Formats: sequence, C-alpha cells, structure tokens
Amino acid sequence: MSTQNSETSNLRGLWLVASREIRVRGLSRANLVSLAVTVLIVGVLAALPTLLSGEDTTRIGLAGEEAAAIERQLAPNEDYEVTVYGSVGEAERAVEDGEVEAAVAEGALYTENRVDTELRTVLDSAWRAASVQSGLEAAGLEPSEIEQALATEPLETVSLSEGGVSGPLDYFTGLIISIVMFFMLMMPVQYIAMGVVEEKSSRIVEILLTSLKPWQLLGGKVIGLGVVALVNLVAIIAVGLGVSAATGLLPDLPEGTAAAALSTMGWWILAFALYGTLAGGVGSLVSRQEEAGSVLAPITTALTIAYVGSIFLLNAPDSVLGRVLSLVPPFSAIAMPTRMSITAVPAWEVALSIGLLALSAVGALLLGALLYKRSVLHTGSRLKLREVLRRAA
Amino acid sequence: MLEIKDLRKRFGETVALDGVSLSARPGEVIGFVGANGAGKTTAMRIAMGVLAADAGEVVYNGSPLGASQRRRFGYMPEERGLYPKMKTGEQVAYFGELHGMSRAEAKRATAELLAQLDLTDRAGDHVQELSLGNQQRVQLAVSLVHRPELLILDEPFSGLDPIAVDVMGTALKERAAGGVPVIFSSHQLELIERLCDSVAIISAGRIIAAGSVEELKARETRRLRLRVATAEDLSGRLPGTVTRDGEDYLVEGGDDQEVLRIAADAGPVSHFAYDQPTIAEIFREAVAQ
Ligand SMILES: Nc1ncnc2c1ncn2[C@@H]1O[C@H](COP(=O)(O)OP(=O)(O)OP(=O)(O)O)[C@@H](O)[C@H]1O
Ligand SMILES: [Mg+2]
Repeated sequence: MSTQNSETSNLRGLWLVASREIRVRGLSRANLVSLAVTVLIVGVLAALPTLLSGEDTTRIGLAGEEAAAIERQLAPNEDYEVTVYGSVGEAERAVEDGEVEAAVAEGALYTENRVDTELRTVLDSAWRAASVQSGLEAAGLEPSEIEQALATEPLETVSLSEGGVSGPLDYFTGLIISIVMFFMLMMPVQYIAMGVVEEKSSRIVEILLTSLKPWQLLGGKVIGLGVVALVNLVAIIAVGLGVSAATGLLPDLPEGTAAAALSTMGWWILAFALYGTLAGGVGSLVSRQEEAGSVLAPITTALTIAYVGSIFLLNAPDSVLGRVLSLVPPFSAIAMPTRMSITAVPAWEVALSIGLLALSAVGALLLGALLYKRSVLHTGSRLKLREVLRRAA
Repeated sequence: MLEIKDLRKRFGETVALDGVSLSARPGEVIGFVGANGAGKTTAMRIAMGVLAADAGEVVYNGSPLGASQRRRFGYMPEERGLYPKMKTGEQVAYFGELHGMSRAEAKRATAELLAQLDLTDRAGDHVQELSLGNQQRVQLAVSLVHRPELLILDEPFSGLDPIAVDVMGTALKERAAGGVPVIFSSHQLELIERLCDSVAIISAGRIIAAGSVEELKARETRRLRLRVATAEDLSGRLPGTVTRDGEDYLVEGGDDQEVLRIAADAGPVSHFAYDQPTIAEIFREAVAQ
C-alpha cells in the first residue's frame, strides 16, 4: 500500500511541477503575445494565395455544335461555371466583355490574353473527349456503349521503393518540417535551461527538494515546457490548415501531408526528450543566467548542425552525408523526417534511425537527470562536466 | 521526536560538523546558537536531507528519517528562495500542494496563513514586488502552509522589523503549542531567551552546551551583586572572589549572609541579589572556554 501511495505522490509531484510550468510559461503574456502574432502571420500566409488569385471559379463560355457535349464533360468539376451561348459571335463578345475568361467554339479557344496551362489542359481534354464521343456516335455506336468504353479509372500509384507506404511529398514540405522542428526544439530547450538556472540562482531548489525528487523537478519542467511547445505548434498548424481549408486551398496540399504532420510530431517528441533533458542537466551546472548560453552551446550547436544539414539534405536526400545525418542522433531528429518528406526512405533505415534516437533519448534522460541531481544544489562557481561525472553519487 | 545523532561533515579540509547530536521533543522550541561558520546551517541542511552527512544519522520517531517524512516537515533555508515572478498566494498554495495537500486544502490554508502574517492584501502581487521583510514572511508561510509536523528554520528572524519579529514569534509559538517541535537558529540572543524552551550552543562543529534555558542558567556560577552607600572599600573584607562593576561589588563563592552583614555594618544597602545570567552571557562564556 505504501508503494502505491508513493507512486501516486511521485506522479502527482511530476504533474504539479509540469502544470506550474504550463501555467507560468504557457499563460505568460510573452508566450500568448508571440503565439497570437505567429498564428496571425500563419493565418494570413495561408489565406494569401486565395486572396491574390481572387475568385475560385473560372467562367467558361461555350458555343457551336459540341457545346452540349463539352458542357457534360465539364459538369462534374465545380471549379468551372459554364455558360452556353447561341452563336460563336455571342461567345466572342462575352470574352471581350470579360463575362467569361475563355470560350470554346467550333474547335477554337477564344481568349483576351494567355490562358494558363491548367485551364488549357482541362478545356483541351474536354474538347477531345467531346469530339471522340461525337466521332464514335457518327460511326454508329450507342451512347451507352461509348460511355462504357470511355470510362477509365485514373492511374493508380504503385511505389516500388522499400519504404513503400509513405511516398515523398515535396521540397516545400521538407523545408517546413525542418524549420518547424528546429524552432520547436530550440525555444523550449532554452526555456528549460533558463528555468533550471532560475530555480538554482533563486535558491528555491533547496525547499523544492525537501518535497520533490530531482527527477520529478527536472521531468516536470521538461514535460510542462514540452506541452506548452506542443500546444503552440498544434495551434499554429490548426490555424494554418483551418484557413487553408476555409479558403479552399487544402485539396491542393500534397497527398500524405496529414500523415507527415503526425509522424513529425512523433519525431519531435523523441527529439525533445533528448535535447530537453540534456538542456536541463547542463543548465544545472551554472548558477547565473549569463552563463546559461555558454553551457548550452554544445546543444544549440548540435541543433543548428541538424537543421543546416537537413536543408542541405533536401537537395541531396540520398547522398552519403544525407543518409548519415538522418541515421545518427542527435542530428537524425530533424534530418530523418526532412529526408522522408523528399524521398522514399527504406523502412529499415527509418526503423534504425528511430531506434538509435530513442536509445539516445533514454541515455540523455539518465545523463541529464544525473547531472541535475549532482549539481543542482551546488552554488557559486560553474561546475565542470567532468568533475560532476566523476563525483560519487 | 527528532534525534540527530553524531553528525560529521567535512568540506575538503574544513571540518564543518564534528559529532553533532541534538534532539527535539514535541512542542519544544529549540534555539540553535553559534558563531558564524560554527556549523548551524550545515547541520540543518543535513537534517532536511538537502546535504548528505559523512557519518551519523537522523532518526524520527524511532526510525531513520526518510523523504516521505521530510515532506511533512517545514523548512526555511538560510538562503531564501521563492519564484520571483509568481503571485504570493499562488506560490504559497503551490508549496502546500507539493507537500501533499489537495488544491482546495492548500488554498484554504494559504488564506488563513496570509491573514495571520498580515499579507492578505499582497496575495495577488508578484513576490519580487514585496519588500525583503515581507518576502521573508512569505518564506515562512511557505514553510508553514502544509501544517508541518516539525519546523527547521535557519535564521528566520534576520532582517525583520520588531513588529514582524513579534508576528513571526507568535506564529512559531502557536505551532509549538500545537505539539510541533521547532528548531531555529539565530544570532539574536534576547529573542532566543524570549521564545525558546531549550538552547543548543554549537562551536566549531561541536555542541558545547545544550539543555533547557533554566538548566543552563542554573549551571552558571552564581554571582551576587551588592550596592552599598559607603566611602570605605569593602573588597578586602568581603568573603569569596570580589570584583567591581562600577559602584557595585560582584561576589562569587562567599557566604551570602556574611556578605549582607558586613555590607549592612558599612552603610545602607540599596541592592542585594543574585544576577540572572542572560543567554548572551552563557553563550560568551561557553564559547570562551
Ligand atoms: N558548500 C560548502 N563548501 C565548502 N565549505 C562549506 C560549505 N558549506 C559550509 N562550509 C563550511 O562549513 C563550516 C560551517 O558552515 P555553516 O554554514 O554551517 O555555518 P553557520 O553556523 O551556519 O554560520 P552562519 O552563522 O554564518 O550562518 C564553515 O567553515 C563553512 O565555511
Ligand atoms: Mg548559517
């Protein structure tokens, strides 16, 4: 019974520390303001393509013999608003007056200026299908037979790479993933170190540690700040996707974006466990805020290398360097999800990368907690890493 | 009952504790006195589990003191520590919760405590906006909020104005009356005299005197103070060891009735009584030995 008691109080302590971090950092004016600004920027950016392109339906004029057949071809596509004119002349006038953007009549495409490729392709194939249909009708086939003959499914994609399931998205998605990962690790990692130093320099650890164990204090801080970062990230993504959906941009996102977003979150959790606990551990080596930056340097450098490496990797995803970066922790945390977005990575490489990252996250957890436990009550001079590690527990 | 048994601690070459033993009974207020660097803070830190001893043990109610019992203690460290950017009331309640109270309980206890310490109207202010003395009251509130079973306070009175000293003294006395042992260190010896049932004097890492205030006073050599209006110098005629303190004669070891007879013969006696040694004198004497 007593073990159960101490277990629940262990978890309660962890949760109390985490929820204080969430309250104090997450609900701080600084965080709310920066979140609001980011959300606003993301929202505007997401809405921009639609705002710039204006209306989202294109008006087409049709005339002549094939008009009805072409109209039938275009009907399923809601992006096109079709008007059928009585004569070619009327259709021409409609184009000139700007009533429609383009008109198809008697085998010709009428337009004021250049027609963009997408519209051209759509009209072309509608015209072709209509012509084939009328040609076949002229050859004596029944309309139902023609329809059956022409009904074809679009091409199915079959991936031949070992990775199989998730195909590459594109360069832009990869870029977004690496940038988001970088910032969502860099910021909370610094907050963790600053928080640890704050508790140390204000000497509050001494009372905290009479009711909490060091791992609860460090773990609660990492979890709490992780939740704050995650909530921020989710808010930003939700606004981005929400605005895109509302403005009708969403269907254009590459297939698999949602899956990529989810798997990136998984990578982020592993990466955060690794970088966050290390940051807490090294943060406890110093007693003054001014020293936090220098003691954090190895961690921020590793993060920067991972980020810059990932940008490089976008252009050479299957180069030796790219493969190494995406397998070796701590760089793999950013490099692998980035690489997965641009190329089909063999499943075994993904599994190996996850395994190594998870392993090193566990190692970081132990090392960070050890550093923290041994140095958090030491005040005054900055501790040397080697001293702390050599010291007996 | 808390028993500190033969604690030893070195920091490199410095011997901070050289076999310190101390015990606290329920409801007892113990003053922990000693010169700077004598080892008070070190001993209290070890008792609270913040520092590990090289040797010795801390026993609570018959078994070695563990983390779960320490959570029920109240501690005020020498170097104060609070979250500067957290609101006073929230902060006190947070510590209540850390010590195992439910949220509602912690809030209720915080409200009571802030009222007792005259801090109610500062509950919504950030700690860093409070004066040093008020921050110290908050620090005390943090150590009291969870209704601790035992209190260990390292110099709780330093930096307080006389009114704050009274408020804090009353708060501590109240807890002790409820059966809580209170151990606190201080350099203000009058305060110790006023508040404590017992005193432990530490010097260079050893307890050199300990016991109830009466015991310690009784242990002192008694000194008779005599004031008599006469031109004659009685030093040579009085029994025992005689010293002068201004006009007064201080007599140690002589028969007091004989002293009175000689004095009355010489002139009118205006003062004839044994001096009450103060804790300060006891302390000076103990440290000097
Ligand atoms: N962390 C430490 N590292 C090295 N020496 C220490 C440390 N803490 C205490 N000491 C030494 O141990 C001895 C006892 O110090 P301690 O702080 O316990 O004294 P104190 O009785 O509390 O003094 P004060 O009245 O000044 O608070 C001193 O000589 C001090 O220099
Ligand atoms: Mg001290």
